[in-house]
Amino acid sequence: MSLNFYRRVAFGLSPHEKPDKDPLNWAINQLDTIPDLLWPGTIPTEKDLRKKYGEWVYGDREVLRKKFKNDKHAYRKAKDELRIKTGERYFELNEHAIRHFQTKYSKQPVFERFWLFWGNHFAISEKDFLAEFSTGPYQREIIRPNMVKTFEEMVQSVTTSWCMIHHLDNSESFGPNSKKGMEWGETINENHARELLELHTVSPNAGYTQEDVIQLAYIMTGWAHKWDRKNLETGDIWFDQEMHQKGDKVVLGVKYKNDAKRELAKVIHDLATHPICIKFVSTKLCRHFITDEPTDEMINPVIDAWNKSNGSLIEIHKAVITQAYKYNEITHKFHPPEIWLMQLSRMFDLNIPLSFEKMNYTFKIKPNNRQRQLSWILREIGHSPYRAKQPNGWSDLEVDWVSPELLLRRFWFASVELPMLVKSGNRSHGFILSCLKNNFEEHENMASLIDNFRFGTSDYDLGQKYGVICNLPGVLKI
Amino acid sequence: MNCTRRNFLIGGSTTLFLSGYFPKISFASMQKKNLIIISLRGGMDGLTAVPVIGDKRLKKLRKKLILEDVLNLNSDFGLHPKLEIFHKLWQKNQAAIVHATNIPYTGRSHFDGQNLMETGAHIPYKEKTGWLGRGLLASNIIGKGLAISLPMPLLLRGVPQNNNFFPSPDFVETKLIDQIYNEFKGEHNELIKSTLDTIRQRPLSMQIATDSDDRKKLALEAAKQLKDQSGPRVAVFDLDGFDTHAAQGGVDGAHADELEEVNKIVTILHENLGQAFDNTLILTLTEFGRTIKQNGGYGTEHGYGSAILMAGGLLKKSQVYTDWPGLKKKELFEGRDLNSTIDSRAVYNSAMSVCFNQDPEFLRKEVFWGDELPDLSQDLFKI
Repeated sequence: MSLNFYRRVAFGLSPHEKPDKDPLNWAINQLDTIPDLLWPGTIPTEKDLRKKYGEWVYGDREVLRKKFKNDKHAYRKAKDELRIKTGERYFELNEHAIRHFQTKYSKQPVFERFWLFWGNHFAISEKDFLAEFSTGPYQREIIRPNMVKTFEEMVQSVTTSWCMIHHLDNSESFGPNSKKGMEWGETINENHARELLELHTVSPNAGYTQEDVIQLAYIMTGWAHKWDRKNLETGDIWFDQEMHQKGDKVVLGVKYKNDAKRELAKVIHDLATHPICIKFVSTKLCRHFITDEPTDEMINPVIDAWNKSNGSLIEIHKAVITQAYKYNEITHKFHPPEIWLMQLSRMFDLNIPLSFEKMNYTFKIKPNNRQRQLSWILREIGHSPYRAKQPNGWSDLEVDWVSPELLLRRFWFASVELPMLVKSGNRSHGFILSCLKNNFEEHENMASLIDNFRFGTSDYDLGQKYGVICNLPGVLKI
Repeated sequence: MNCTRRNFLIGGSTTLFLSGYFPKISFASMQKKNLIIISLRGGMDGLTAVPVIGDKRLKKLRKKLILEDVLNLNSDFGLHPKLEIFHKLWQKNQAAIVHATNIPYTGRSHFDGQNLMETGAHIPYKEKTGWLGRGLLASNIIGKGLAISLPMPLLLRGVPQNNNFFPSPDFVETKLIDQIYNEFKGEHNELIKSTLDTIRQRPLSMQIATDSDDRKKLALEAAKQLKDQSGPRVAVFDLDGFDTHAAQGGVDGAHADELEEVNKIVTILHENLGQAFDNTLILTLTEFGRTIKQNGGYGTEHGYGSAILMAGGLLKKSQVYTDWPGLKKKELFEGRDLNSTIDSRAVYNSAMSVCFNQDPEFLRKEVFWGDELPDLSQDLFKI
């Protein structure tokens, strides 16, 4: 088995790790439990961060906008101060550190790859201040704990999470015949219902109609944040009967009797266990780990595992890994920028992320450049993970990641930025060679390409070496 | 405001009923024609950019947002003072406005709206390619798209081999590419290899490091490329920050700052395209306009109808092309927004037909699924 399997399903091997005698078992054994988050710095709760979100929007919208309505300069200044005080400029940086610390040091890197996958399947795209405050904790508290449960349980948690409800506007969706809908003349917002069908579960392959979307939106009415004057839209999620559409609903030909808050769990059960959903999500998993165009032959064993285990994610993950192993030698898969960065960080033991002591924040001044570095790099290489542009998240397809500038950014990172992230003890040529040997069959060929610089240890020399290595076809993809 | 729906219909839309398209094969059509789109994300306020003059209702609803020194366009419309270049070009018949227009999207979500302004579709996220990409593909113009942004914008997707320009903050040694180029073997490495080819063929000027936040430099480079007869034929700029919920201001507020950016880009393009400006169309694109009424923060909320700012030598004449719906309460969309009486996709379809030398009818079918989009090219552009 090629060493590239460790990059196909994980992040490659760190200088302290050796290839396992049985790579398949090595990978499969990582999926039964949820590894602890290793970040030694602060890991704030979703609820705490939502409170900060509330302070920020309240302060801006209810206080500053009114106070400085005639003075855009004073308004901007006051707003910048509020950003610092509420951590609006900081928490996302901390989340990136938590995430990248995990993928670098986790003893279960294969699990972490699935964590990234599900966070992107149930993507929170760039909207309002979700990236600043909420998407990170959503990944930690909603996605992660569900990864040893069933797909259905994952969908239930995601669908009723504050983050997703805010992201897809379900709090603005009123049953037109509900008490509040009638009083205020409001109606449904179909956003969340459409994405629950299209992106999260059955996909357009199920052939649902606009009427199905409307009916599902009716079922979902009432699942909303609790609004009050102080917390605005950042209150907890509850079921507001006064927003809920009365009467029976029919989605994809199945009738759901008028049953208030219990309707949602029933319809999610039917969607999450729908054969087309199973096929859609299994395909997406195979696309992520095996190849852009997975065949039925690759996908079917995953579907079987799904059916046999009633949607147990542990069993589904194991089946995906088994297939990835089986097809490892004959398929290729391109790595999007963030995964590429994570792999470089692990394989070459880079100084990413910044130490937790240095990430410590006082809420008195803007985060410094070092604290912003990782997030800045992610943005510059085109893959700031919590800022996907659309609710369908980041693409799994090579074609979406190959543009002239996006490739040039990788050359830039590897030759200019990366040398500054090499630890002082790791600057020798021998270190690079040992990392290559640990991770690549073709290490001798790789070494020959940088041989001209074998005596150099300056930033420039390291830039020349890493600039070449990191952009070789066998590193950009497997 | 003394213009009514009626007299605009007389001036504007009669040609909607003329059918037939007669492509002229002349020397002019062999010249490379450039189409430049500037995306204005966040919702550009058409009534701030191109205010109606003397509308009492607008004055009343926007006490704190009214402009003092509008540049006059005609007896009915003015131009925001920051849009100087459009005013200058207007005198030479090289600037025009389409007003009370929008993509057919009436929700008020930026995300859905921006998706639809790029795909040109009706259902958010359903289409994975952009109308401009599809238009290029249908016209068999390959490898001629230039995006001034890091990822390839959705708007340009659907046609292969686009270039983009958004240099990294430091110099990138492209000779590194030469060192590894031959390592890209086999079919599965073809896409990367051909993209490396594109990079290697880039002119030196596109290889310099620059501050990509400096839009001036980016526009300058874009102009240089577009001017080249064998260079790109399409360029896409991306601006955001039009979502001014607070301190929107009049002459000098937050919206004015954004319009100033548009002005800057068009100024640079105009100055540096030289003769090529005569064969160029520049059009803005936004997801929606903004509410008529100012909000509690002296800003505006998400609305519906907006305006398209146009510049370039391929414009027919200086004009505010509109089927003005009026601003009385009952004339507004849902009682709060300027209505849209022109599907802006008709403008873009017509612009593509002019710049790509294509039958608008053909493009309408290939790009916009045959949606009812009148051909406006004879009204708006030189054909």
